[in-house]
Amino acid sequence: MTTETIEAPARPERPQRAYAALFRSPSGAVGLVIVAVLVVCAILAPYIAPHDPLVMAAGPRLEPPSLAHWMGTDQFGRDVLSRIIYGSRLTLMIGTIAVGISLSAGLLLGLVAGYASGWTERVLMRIVDVLFSFTEIVIALACIAILGVGLVNAMIAIGIASIPFYARVTHSIVLVEKNKPYFESAVAAGASHARLIFLHLLPNVIPTLIVIGTLGVSTAVLAAAGLSFLGLGAQPPQPEWGFMLSSSRDLISRAPWMMIFPGLAIAITVLGFNLLGDGVREVLDPRQRAR
Amino acid sequence: MIPDRLRHTGPGALALTGFLTMAAGPALAGDVIWARYGDIDSLDPHRATSTLSMQVWDQIYDTLLAFDEDGAAVPNLAKSWEVSDDGLSYTFMLQDGVICHDGTPFGAEDVKFTVDRAFGDNPSLTMTNWGPIETVEVIDDLTVRITLESTFGAFLPFLADSFSSMVCLSNDDDPDFGSATAIGTGPFKLDNWVQGDEVVLSRNDDYRNFGKPVENDGPVQFDRLIVRTIPEAQTRLAALRTGEAHIAEPPFDDIPDIRAEGDLDIVVAEKTGQNVFWQFTISRPPFDDIRARQAVAHATDPEMAIDIIYGGLSEREWCPIARGVFGNDQDFCQQYGYEYDPDRARELLAEIGFGPDNPLNTTMYVWTGGNRHMLAEIFQAQLAQVGINVSIEILDIGTMNARVREQNESPDDPSPGTFDMMTWGWYDPDILYALWHSPGAYSGYTSDELDAKLELTRELTDEDERLEAVQDVIRYLMENAVHIGLYTPGWEWVFAVRPEIEGFKVGVFLHPMFQDVRLTD
Amino acid sequence: MLRFIAQRLVAALITIWVATIAVTLLIHLVPGDPVRIMYSGFQTTPEQIEEIRTRLGLDQPVWRQYLMYMGRVLQGDLGHSIVGDQPVLTTLLQRFPATLLLTIASLFIAVVVGGSLGFFAAYRRGTVWDFGAMTLAIVGVSMPHFWLGLILLFIFSLSLGWLPVGGSGFMNLILPAMTLGLANAAILARLTRSAMIDIFDQDFVRTAQAKGLPQTLVLYRHALRSGLVPIVAMLGLQFAYLMGGAIVVENVFAWNGVGRLAIQAVFARDYPLIQGFILFFATVVALASVIIDVTYALLDPRIRYGK
Repeated sequence: MTTETIEAPARPERPQRAYAALFRSPSGAVGLVIVAVLVVCAILAPYIAPHDPLVMAAGPRLEPPSLAHWMGTDQFGRDVLSRIIYGSRLTLMIGTIAVGISLSAGLLLGLVAGYASGWTERVLMRIVDVLFSFTEIVIALACIAILGVGLVNAMIAIGIASIPFYARVTHSIVLVEKNKPYFESAVAAGASHARLIFLHLLPNVIPTLIVIGTLGVSTAVLAAAGLSFLGLGAQPPQPEWGFMLSSSRDLISRAPWMMIFPGLAIAITVLGFNLLGDGVREVLDPRQRAR
Repeated sequence: MIPDRLRHTGPGALALTGFLTMAAGPALAGDVIWARYGDIDSLDPHRATSTLSMQVWDQIYDTLLAFDEDGAAVPNLAKSWEVSDDGLSYTFMLQDGVICHDGTPFGAEDVKFTVDRAFGDNPSLTMTNWGPIETVEVIDDLTVRITLESTFGAFLPFLADSFSSMVCLSNDDDPDFGSATAIGTGPFKLDNWVQGDEVVLSRNDDYRNFGKPVENDGPVQFDRLIVRTIPEAQTRLAALRTGEAHIAEPPFDDIPDIRAEGDLDIVVAEKTGQNVFWQFTISRPPFDDIRARQAVAHATDPEMAIDIIYGGLSEREWCPIARGVFGNDQDFCQQYGYEYDPDRARELLAEIGFGPDNPLNTTMYVWTGGNRHMLAEIFQAQLAQVGINVSIEILDIGTMNARVREQNESPDDPSPGTFDMMTWGWYDPDILYALWHSPGAYSGYTSDELDAKLELTRELTDEDERLEAVQDVIRYLMENAVHIGLYTPGWEWVFAVRPEIEGFKVGVFLHPMFQDVRLTD
Repeated sequence: MLRFIAQRLVAALITIWVATIAVTLLIHLVPGDPVRIMYSGFQTTPEQIEEIRTRLGLDQPVWRQYLMYMGRVLQGDLGHSIVGDQPVLTTLLQRFPATLLLTIASLFIAVVVGGSLGFFAAYRRGTVWDFGAMTLAIVGVSMPHFWLGLILLFIFSLSLGWLPVGGSGFMNLILPAMTLGLANAAILARLTRSAMIDIFDQDFVRTAQAKGLPQTLVLYRHALRSGLVPIVAMLGLQFAYLMGGAIVVENVFAWNGVGRLAIQAVFARDYPLIQGFILFFATVVALASVIIDVTYALLDPRIRYGK
């Protein structure tokens, strides 16, 4: 963002106040704390993890949770807690990269379609609608059928699969903004295409996209975990949570902790981003707060 | 089965059950449900090589000879045979009154059809194993003569194996044969195959057994055998516990608990003839260099891995052929084997330019099931310690066979060559001929020297001479790090059986037999 | 109304048409030679590879391949799978009833549980009940459904032995349908709550309340019927969601629908089957959304005639 964008019209609240507001919203605060803990885990993983996540026989194999291994050990005697801590790195990477792909491509498509109007808009949005109706999982499966299995490919697949959603949201905001007086007067004043798009439309699209993007991280994390669970995403020995769940499947009766903790990690992370997204929405859209 | 369901459901639910199961194809009282981790690849014995396919062919087809309890080939559909003095001509006298599933009598024409088909335009995947067959002649309805180009020591045992299943002539010109239809003379007829879901077989009332080591030589004693695919081990266990399946491979780590509880019987297959081994893509770097192959062998410790995963219940295997197979000798093989020696592995890697700053990156293929993915993860960790970074790809066996061959046939692929944990089960060292005689089953390593050695193992019929020839091949394969034995799975083939099933057994070389099975509930 | 149905049908046909283009292109986006990738395990000679290429039409220009593909699709021929060599359409149709059954059963659970939770939360808006219901809902939204599935499997099948898995009967349906249904009930609860709040705020409800009509009557007669409209509007998307979710859940419980088939096909690189699945899935979802949109139009006079 450039400094100019802050001067753009209809800017909701200044950032400092937004953060303060985020803390006043209880769900936002909880979400922020969860996400912050996750980020800290990811950054400090080597310092806080009690064991190396990849070293086998860190303890006896399939040991239930104990003082030495808080979340037990897996079938190779690896420490489950350490693997979950290191897994937060992969999870954050998946979330940001997948959302990065879908957000940037969706934003571009939506802006172009909304701004251009006419045939360009109709054709682009028709394609977006059709892709949207394919559902994300099928697009992701098709991408993986082309690219092959693997965590990076899964992230790309999830990113691509969500583009239609972001394009739709952007497009609908652009349509609203285009009819507002400030935009019409800017057009009348002969502003260039670039100026109209980047100075007028973009800043108004961004707040909503921040909300959608935050919620989108949770969807992306869930989807990636799902693909890894099916064996299409992360591969051994990556301590990816969905993959850990997948390898726990042969051992549920014998070692339920291998199934419980990675699942909890996914659920709490997704919950964190969902709450944070809700909180950000409340901050950015005060009307919602009344609900 | 039914009473079991009643116990768990209220009357309302039961009515609904009745309604819904009707739509979905219900399991009936006379059904035996066998849940397995994977599906068959084909109903056509010439179009697949997987054990899972073979075990279903065993139920639909029969073979000229059969393996007895010790793995010796004995008369079956062929009640007797004569071998000419030069060892090139075999005349088989067939059993009278055997009937194909479509009602046509089984005879010499069916045998000729099967053999000719195996060598036809779209030959059998295991064509090599049939041997150097020159001609098949029908002498009369029940007599057939097969003539070989050269002597072939492993010919008779092959005729007891499922790959030589007798396919009835009535399948000729049926475009659906192998995918939707299959006519044989085995204990079951094919009802239908829903790919990836189930193969439904029903009792063949005309079936008679002649050579298989079972007590009941008549038709099987239940109505249908449903072979269902349930890849997830815990789901199979749940299916067993809730009566949805009668026979299934249980999750390995639950076996001690299952034994302790005593509700389910555990049947372990013995003398599987299976050998799990390393093989490499030799058409391009890094494994075109013997030192890279040797480095992998030195860097991995199968002993430790099988100990962790199978609790010492599978055996370390030094030879390229399984225990119990002619020519297997641990002491002999170990002389040429690769001891676990990470330092030696590092040295070898350094010689070919790999080191801490330049790790060797490659991919290991492993096939699904049998906890092999866990073994692979241990090997991955061991290899990482010497600077070999491996990514694991877990594939079903059919796909993996395809992939390995594709790798060998892509010398110009810029990505590093792969290696894989392959498994073959065979009753005779002739498997080595099929795998490594040019062009080779996977288009892998071949040499003129090896070809000559392999040919010798086929031509020699004197036992001592043949043993020497076989061990010469073993020595060559190991010295050149082409086929490196890892372990003999016995424990990988474990079946948990519900108490109402009696008489289920698995013969040598992994042939499950249902002739004696009775449903007691 | 007819015009509206026609419009929706045309939109669905466009979706299906785009899907046919997408699946034709799919095989060309695969790096490497698709025929060799698919068939190399079959001891094929180079001549056989070329023969297969000709048979599949992969030696033709892309536009002609597309026309050939369309020609076959219009005759109901989606080709043969690589593994097992079975007709793709037959295979999909054999497996589809299981997926449809699972989807509908889950939709039912999702609507009943999610709808009542959302309605209840809206009715008791601002109370601790509302807070509790919505907390439950957001936790439900955040929970990976395959994890919920594993937990249910662990409790009800493996530990208690109450509910079977791995078969195709009604009892086998309970766990997968609960898993998928409850996961989506959370989403529906949130949507229903906000839809109901909008309606409670509308004048006619307030008027009814002011008139002194008994509470329950107000709720059921007026609010609920109007509240149904936005809920039905969501069902189209929910159906698609559930069909997608079924892909994962089928794999947890060995419920043999098309989703399980699709995953097997991806692993085996069985491209004809993958293509068939995508086309089939797009068609089912498109047709279901037409049905739901039309129902929606019937319920809500305001959007009739394709406004």
